[in-house]
Amino acid sequence: MPKLTIDGREIEVAAGTTVIAAARDLGIEIPHFCWHPELSVAANCRMCLVEIEKQPKLQPSCQLPAADGMVVHTDTPRVREARRAMMEYLLLNHPVDCPICDQAGECKLQDYYQLYDLKASRLWSEEGKVRKRKRTVFGPHVVYDAERCVMCTRCVRFCAEIAKDPVLIEVHRGDHSEIAVAPGRTLDHAYSLMTAHVCPVGALTSRDFRFQCRVWFLSSTPTICPGCATGCNALLDHRRGEAFRLRPRDNPALNRGWLCDDGVLAFRLHNDHRLTTPELGRGEEARPASWDEALAEAAALLGKLPKAQRAAVLSAEHSCEENWALCVFAREALGVERFFVAGRAAGEADELLRHADKNPNRAGVRLMLGAEPEPLEKLVEEATAGSLRGVVALGAAAATTGPAAATGLLRLEALVSLAPRRGPLPEAAHVRLPCPSFAEAAGTYVNARGQPQEFPRAMPPRGEALEVPELLARLARRLDLTLPFRSTADVRAAVMPRLPQPAAGGGAP
Amino acid sequence: MPYVVRRPDRNLWEQSYVPETVRGLAVTLRHFFRNVLGRRDTVTLLYPEQRRPYPPRFRGVHRLTQRDDGAPRCTACMCCQTACPAECIHIVAGEYPADHPLAHVEKYPAEFWIDELRCVSCGLCVEACPCDAIRMDTGLHPRPVEARPHLMYERNLLLSISDTAGSVFTANPRKK
Ligand code: SF4
Ligand code: SF4
Ligand code: SF4
Ligand code: FES
Repeated sequence: MPKLTIDGREIEVAAGTTVIAAARDLGIEIPHFCWHPELSVAANCRMCLVEIEKQPKLQPSCQLPAADGMVVHTDTPRVREARRAMMEYLLLNHPVDCPICDQAGECKLQDYYQLYDLKASRLWSEEGKVRKRKRTVFGPHVVYDAERCVMCTRCVRFCAEIAKDPVLIEVHRGDHSEIAVAPGRTLDHAYSLMTAHVCPVGALTSRDFRFQCRVWFLSSTPTICPGCATGCNALLDHRRGEAFRLRPRDNPALNRGWLCDDGVLAFRLHNDHRLTTPELGRGEEARPASWDEALAEAAALLGKLPKAQRAAVLSAEHSCEENWALCVFAREALGVERFFVAGRAAGEADELLRHADKNPNRAGVRLMLGAEPEPLEKLVEEATAGSLRGVVALGAAAATTGPAAATGLLRLEALVSLAPRRGPLPEAAHVRLPCPSFAEAAGTYVNARGQPQEFPRAMPPRGEALEVPELLARLARRLDLTLPFRSTADVRAAVMPRLPQPAAGGGAP
Repeated sequence: MPYVVRRPDRNLWEQSYVPETVRGLAVTLRHFFRNVLGRRDTVTLLYPEQRRPYPPRFRGVHRLTQRDDGAPRCTACMCCQTACPAECIHIVAGEYPADHPLAHVEKYPAEFWIDELRCVSCGLCVEACPCDAIRMDTGLHPRPVEARPHLMYERNLLLSISDTAGSVFTANPRKK
């Protein structure tokens, strides 16, 4: 275990650790472009040069293994001059088109220019700059601007090493070098947006986020990706009630700082097709209603049916808190004994992150119910047969779509749907009650590995939507029952003891 | 802490008010009759028939400058929106399609709104703009209107306003 000194502070690190990683452990940030903790070392940008005592030349700290007794200085005049020179070199042919660049505000070139350079370019002539391709579409989600690229090759290494699809390559030499897509290919693997994420500058940017919002207007809230049962840790970027993107949040034990493309785009679950007011009636007869009217109608519809013909649909899309509140409501207010589970349809899976179950909380639903819920197909069957007539359902998605499912659900005499957005379940419902999206209520998901992960609320519910526990407490009062909770906080206290303890090193944010 | 309020130092003549009031009225009347009967040296103007020339740096309503081809110079970078302390600028960025003559510019303001009612005429937007696309050299006041929305100035209106010399272009063409 080598012990070294960085800027006068001693640290002991595992053999093989690089100096830049050791410095990071001490909280000393050495500027870098090409180094990334999850990728192999390329050492091509030379931004990370540091001074080592008894070594005549500056050394790239991203490539240099820590050695016993090494004395490192990261902030001497020589190092600062080297950084300034590197910045001038990197910006030599840069188009400085920050006004039209989406990376502006989170760009390493901007940050390091402010910190280490602050000199006017000595090549201020547009004719003198090497011109390259601008706005080149690389794939369905990513666009490339060769003039902004600093050739750090992070994107190339990400594709080869993490996504295991070496679709990006370096072409040409010297001033003219740039990144290209391998001939005959597009950048279309399931992690293509992570290439834009690892790009330290504005060379690779997201086509989805393109020109939507300047990054400095966004607020970030830690969240759990609602895209699949892996439960990757993420940051939700939002502004004035609208979500713009998910970004990965580092969790070395789970997603190691990555998200899949579907995950990055899962913010759309918050924006699109939202239900914002209570509604009554199906299809043509649908009309907005007040909460009073809608709750009275829901209570009347469900109340008049015999207990044995009522059921509840839990949602693998929704948090433990929301599902537990529905379990308690259904059992106590409606005497329900049959519980089903709905959610989005299964999809592709892979070794890296993606799970076939595209719902974040199926394991949590099981824990909250204390038993295995029945599949939605069974509900459709029994509804068609007429043995189940009244249902209270959480969530918008129903994996079983198609005509059979739709007609089955339409046979129900009372379908009360609690949903954040439109979808097969609310469309078939007699009463639609708007509830918060994944970003609008705090909650807990239990991922496929059984790790419970809490997340806070990023913004208040849109429109007239009510948090599920509050909504159900109000509905129960219409059925002359007082539930043991009134808010998400009450429910969380009841849910906590039912969750497994988070595994060491991973889990909760 | 107690304060001692000193009584004003007035003699009986001043304290009785009436003579001093008459003296004040005399000054007013002197000016009145001098201006009505004799030479006029009033400082007020009959606005809007009479106007005083504004200083060249007067900050009037905004305008968006045009490129030589008539397209907006603005690239929808939102620097002005960021700088504006009154939060009265709202921009929606658009992207020129790949076959557009201005495809190399990539980004343009599909919508550009300035709420002239909220604007505090600080000029920070003009300072912030890296493209000299927004200027306040029009010499104009916002026109009186009957409803608040009429003072939401929209992109094409802003593009059509000219500076005091009648130009809709920038005063700082990019150095080549
Ligand atoms: S596109 Fe970005 S990540 Fe890839 S080499 Fe260029 S600067 Fe680096
Ligand atoms: S002059 Fe000031 S208040 Fe008015 S739009 Fe510009 S920045 Fe905003
Ligand atoms: S007017 Fe200027 S500062 Fe404002 S968005 Fe357009 S280019 Fe940017
Ligand atoms: S970070 Fe070390 S050379 Fe690029």
